[in-house]
Amino acid sequence: MDVWQELIFLLGGVPLTLSISIIAFLVGIIIGLPLAFIRVYETEISFIVDAYEKIFRGIPEIVLMLMFFFGLGLYFPFPFNNAFFVAAFVLGLRSGANQSQIYRGAIRGVGDEQMVAGQSVGFSKWRAIWHIMFPQVLTFSTPGLGSEYALLIKDSSYVWVIGGLAEIMTRSVWLKNVPPYDVITPYVFAAILYIALTFPLAFWLDKWGNRRKKKIGL
Amino acid sequence: MGKQEKEKNRTVKTMTDVVMEARNVYKTYGKLEAVKGVSLQIRKGDIKLIFGPSGSGKSTFLRCLAMLTMPDKGEVYLGEQCLTKPGVDLNKARARIGFVFQHIYLFRHLTALGNVELALREVLKLSKQEARERALAALKEVKVADCINRYPAQMSGGQAQRVGIARAIARNPDIILLDEPTSALDPELTGEVIDSLRDLAKEGTTMLIVSHEMPFAREVAEEMIFYDEGAIVETGIPSHFFNSPNSDRAKKFMNRIINRTTRE
Repeated sequence: MDVWQELIFLLGGVPLTLSISIIAFLVGIIIGLPLAFIRVYETEISFIVDAYEKIFRGIPEIVLMLMFFFGLGLYFPFPFNNAFFVAAFVLGLRSGANQSQIYRGAIRGVGDEQMVAGQSVGFSKWRAIWHIMFPQVLTFSTPGLGSEYALLIKDSSYVWVIGGLAEIMTRSVWLKNVPPYDVITPYVFAAILYIALTFPLAFWLDKWGNRRKKKIGL
Repeated sequence: MGKQEKEKNRTVKTMTDVVMEARNVYKTYGKLEAVKGVSLQIRKGDIKLIFGPSGSGKSTFLRCLAMLTMPDKGEVYLGEQCLTKPGVDLNKARARIGFVFQHIYLFRHLTALGNVELALREVLKLSKQEARERALAALKEVKVADCINRYPAQMSGGQAQRVGIARAIARNPDIILLDEPTSALDPELTGEVIDSLRDLAKEGTTMLIVSHEMPFAREVAEEMIFYDEGAIVETGIPSHFFNSPNSDRAKKFMNRIINRTTRE
């Protein structure tokens, strides 16, 4: 294979890398947002959030993936024998822990006064969260979310250890193992691809967030 | 409403007219006793004004009335309903109370119209059209109809506070509680907010106002309440305070305020 063929082969991994990361990101939103609000507004049970964050931020992704795929997969082949599921799920769990912290900071940034104002017009705590806090928290979180997304793109490369998913990392390792056994170019290309995938969205999120923030005077 | 007419109205009011009542309310923050057994009754159409040194607990008391801060002890009544009993739907109760904040606290992600409309749609469950009409009417009433599509960050403090008042009155609440509505504004902007409050007063809106706007107090308040160190020290009609308050503390405070106002 010449270098261009190598590049094209690696490019073939982009959709999978993207879909793992984006699904994990969405799973992270679904987990992280409620956790953050529970942590701030339901102090009696916030220890659960604390424990969750410590566990999933403390264990390396690679350990989690091996545990879920080979460990849980042994007893629950469905769904844990599915590499794509495990990849997106594990990264999503981890991202939920990270995003919970991002949103918590944002909730503090939005400020309790907004919550009080929401309650003053007749909203319950959780309805005020939905109508008033949530939209502002998203705006406040954009810089953190940008880097969290970049982290997920990079960490999606860990799925190489469970194999069977032809995303960018796995493909670059394959390339190294086939003639002409090139150990440099595939990784260099992979590096470039990862940067290309992380940078634009993080940049756009940051810009969008700054524009919104200016509009609402934060 | 003329002074005489006001007097007449007051005599026909009965117990059933009581819109809000505090009975022996207490609130303590750590060692700070912000509210020490305060009782107060507000009847329909009343305009009462609380004033006193800053840090004396006036705002805390007002928040206790709206149950935005839970009193430690004592009872708060909204009409006949006791809000301090366990199991009361406080959200429903708060929907019947308008609250205007010192630091305004408009919802920053919504336009002026959105700020007023939100509770009409989502709390009162009005139809889209009805909510819009009522929101526009409220905004018009406080004379900010020209900036309905602006975000709070794009308004002046005076405009924002008037939107805050519109947000409070749009629901047709039983009473409006105003926590120093002008004290966070530049002096030249307080006038427009006071004008809006004056209009509300003319319409017979029930209001409890924490404020130090003395000329305004003199003009609209039926009763002034001097509040210091977590308790009501003295109450009376405005002329009582302007001429000869009983307590030394009220005397001193009035002197300071009147001197300041005339200097300005």
